[in-house]
Amino acid sequence: MQKFLTLVAKILLTLLVLLMALDWAYTTVYLHSSHRGKVEKIFNSKAENFDVVILGSSRANNHFVPELFEKKGLKTFNYGMSGAHLFEASLMLKLMAERNYKIKTVILEADLGLCNEKESEMIAAKFLPYIHHSEVIKNHFSGQADFNELYYIPFYRYIDFDALIGFREMYQTATDKPTNILDNQGYHPLTSNKPGNMKNDIRALKPIRNKYYEEIKQICKQNNYNLITVMTPMCTNVKGLDYFEKANKIYPEIYNLENVVEGDQYFSSCGHMNDAGARMFTEVVINRFFETKQKQ
Amino acid sequence: MFFNSLTFAIFLPIVFLLYWFVFSKTKSTQNAFLVVVSYYFYSCWDWRFLFLLLFSTLICYFTGIQIEKSTQERVRKLWFWTSLTANIGFLAIFKYYNFFAFSFSEALNSIGLHSSPLLLNVILPVGISFYTFHGLSYVIDIYYKRIQSEKNVVDYALFVSYFPLLVAGPIERATHLLPEIKVKRTFNFEKAKEGVYQIIWGLVKKVVIADTCATYANAVFDNYSSMNSLSLILGAVYFAFQIYGDFSGYSDMALGMSKLFGLDLLRNFNYPYFSRDIAEFWRRWHISLSSWFRDYLYIPLGGSRGSKIKQVRNVFIIFVVSGFWHGANWTFVAWGFINAMYFLPSLLLGTNRTNMETAELHWDFNSIKVFFSILATFSITCLAWIFFRANTIQIAFDYIGKIFTNGTFASQFLQNQRYSYELLLLVLAFVLVEWNSRYKIEPISGKYSWLKMTLCLLAIIALGTYADYKEFIYFQF
Repeated sequence: MQKFLTLVAKILLTLLVLLMALDWAYTTVYLHSSHRGKVEKIFNSKAENFDVVILGSSRANNHFVPELFEKKGLKTFNYGMSGAHLFEASLMLKLMAERNYKIKTVILEADLGLCNEKESEMIAAKFLPYIHHSEVIKNHFSGQADFNELYYIPFYRYIDFDALIGFREMYQTATDKPTNILDNQGYHPLTSNKPGNMKNDIRALKPIRNKYYEEIKQICKQNNYNLITVMTPMCTNVKGLDYFEKANKIYPEIYNLENVVEGDQYFSSCGHMNDAGARMFTEVVINRFFETKQKQ
Repeated sequence: MFFNSLTFAIFLPIVFLLYWFVFSKTKSTQNAFLVVVSYYFYSCWDWRFLFLLLFSTLICYFTGIQIEKSTQERVRKLWFWTSLTANIGFLAIFKYYNFFAFSFSEALNSIGLHSSPLLLNVILPVGISFYTFHGLSYVIDIYYKRIQSEKNVVDYALFVSYFPLLVAGPIERATHLLPEIKVKRTFNFEKAKEGVYQIIWGLVKKVVIADTCATYANAVFDNYSSMNSLSLILGAVYFAFQIYGDFSGYSDMALGMSKLFGLDLLRNFNYPYFSRDIAEFWRRWHISLSSWFRDYLYIPLGGSRGSKIKQVRNVFIIFVVSGFWHGANWTFVAWGFINAMYFLPSLLLGTNRTNMETAELHWDFNSIKVFFSILATFSITCLAWIFFRANTIQIAFDYIGKIFTNGTFASQFLQNQRYSYELLLLVLAFVLVEWNSRYKIEPISGKYSWLKMTLCLLAIIALGTYADYKEFIYFQF
């Protein structure tokens, strides 16, 4: 039996060594990459200057066209990420502040995301390779239920989120396989000709006083970032459109731009405008928030 | 509690330590402890099904004794049929009732008699097909006086509920497992080491091969109508490796962990994809089920004795019933039927027992024949797996039709955001490892075992798929 227990101990030790070695190797790869995604682009960057930074979910990513801001002389990057919640938007902004980004205006898309304070696993996972290299990330995740496993068990985070930061992603990062995520200054135009689902029912969503939105407001205040929070358009066939009014009751400072682009021809699916709609919407945003400023 | 879960990784060492350090004094303490642990293990799925397991166990235990005790043939028969009816009744209600009710209603509707089926709102208890078959074989063996009934209820309960085999087999025989249970186990280092290696190799098969293949196979099968020929072929191949890795991986883990407790279970797989004909495939695939049907259905029906027509009938019965055992869906019946069709030529030509030895390849002409026989057997097996995997027979036919009509052979981007060919290298590496270890139970033991084990551990943690596909396919059967 003693011989067997020694064998098991040796196997466990080998496993531990492998976990630590792999953890180091994967993390090293991610620490040296800044071309494949928005999180690593920020994490591995130094101080940058922006006139406008856009944050939010896919409804930011697909709706704000930096090219149109740039035409007005505003250096802009769209850091909206498909699937992101305010949990991740707040962390992105914290990382920018930690790297001393000079940002004049932050445009935050906060509408449907206001109703929950959960992390979005598919986006949150992208921060996890850096959890041991950033106090900001560590503290941001410290309230999560699986924090101890993610932080203290070597390689656990790469196993738990293998589809997002596991071997395949690590390999593609190591070989510098390009993505289109950073093209168009982060804007992802929806150009498909196929009509998507033009129905949506958001009656079940209930906006709340959101912890991470409060955090974002606080970070902007501390770093002198001008914060513009907006709600972006949805198609006409939505049940529960009063959601936006309810959100406005809790947060009157949020600009309700839900109805500034109308007509399903401007939508790729009910919650996402196509490129034409996005350009129309961006023009409205620029005219409303930047032209007046420039005139003044 | 899946074998590949973190909970089980905590559960198993605790059970092992308690078994050998606290409950190892006598055979009775060992068995009682394993029964308690097995019932706890089963309750983790759904505690309500414990009553079903207990009832099934007591029925077989009690009727087994009564059959043996009864001197009158009429009484023996009564107890025998009581047991059979109860066991098959459970299976029929929980697994097949809704299927038959629905099919009957459909049949009536098709001839213009409108009816709506009276369906039962029941969940299929995990492992019911496996422990019911344990009980059935036990009672049948007593009835035919092959074995004596087990008087110790704890020992019998362990035979039925032993946790490594409880939810997905292998389907044990009383003649094999009960004698092992009846003696006190002493710790054997070599056996335990072999068990650990087998568990590790089973995990490689499950999380590296099966679960990774599943992401590709699902992406192809779920979107088969838009897939080109190459993707459809690869989808079937990936599913073949998914189901093999999943089920044989589970069996390896079950056999391996059982060795840790000093009990040897029946071997369930013997490198089936290296078979040269379909008869050999069925001697190597899910061996415990194939041999169960052979001994308790095929041979009682007459087996290969009698006229050719009778033999053909027996082959079709055994394959169709075997298909139906897998699940209440016509696709499984079709899968069984197709395998019977594959088997038919070798039965008629009398060549079903020609490839009894493990396949060899050398640099000679005969090896070319062997190689192509293996390839051909694997190909027709993949074709049959399409019926097993598809949701309906119509979809299976559509899938096969599109292989021939969606004629492009280019790589395709799948919905799981990967290219259809990407996994081939890993599958090929797996095939080579299996080929080189086809005379052994697992590839880790032998020369350089430490290096091989380290590589397996590396594969498990770095190449395993963990985000999805944790369940074992055969748990649903």
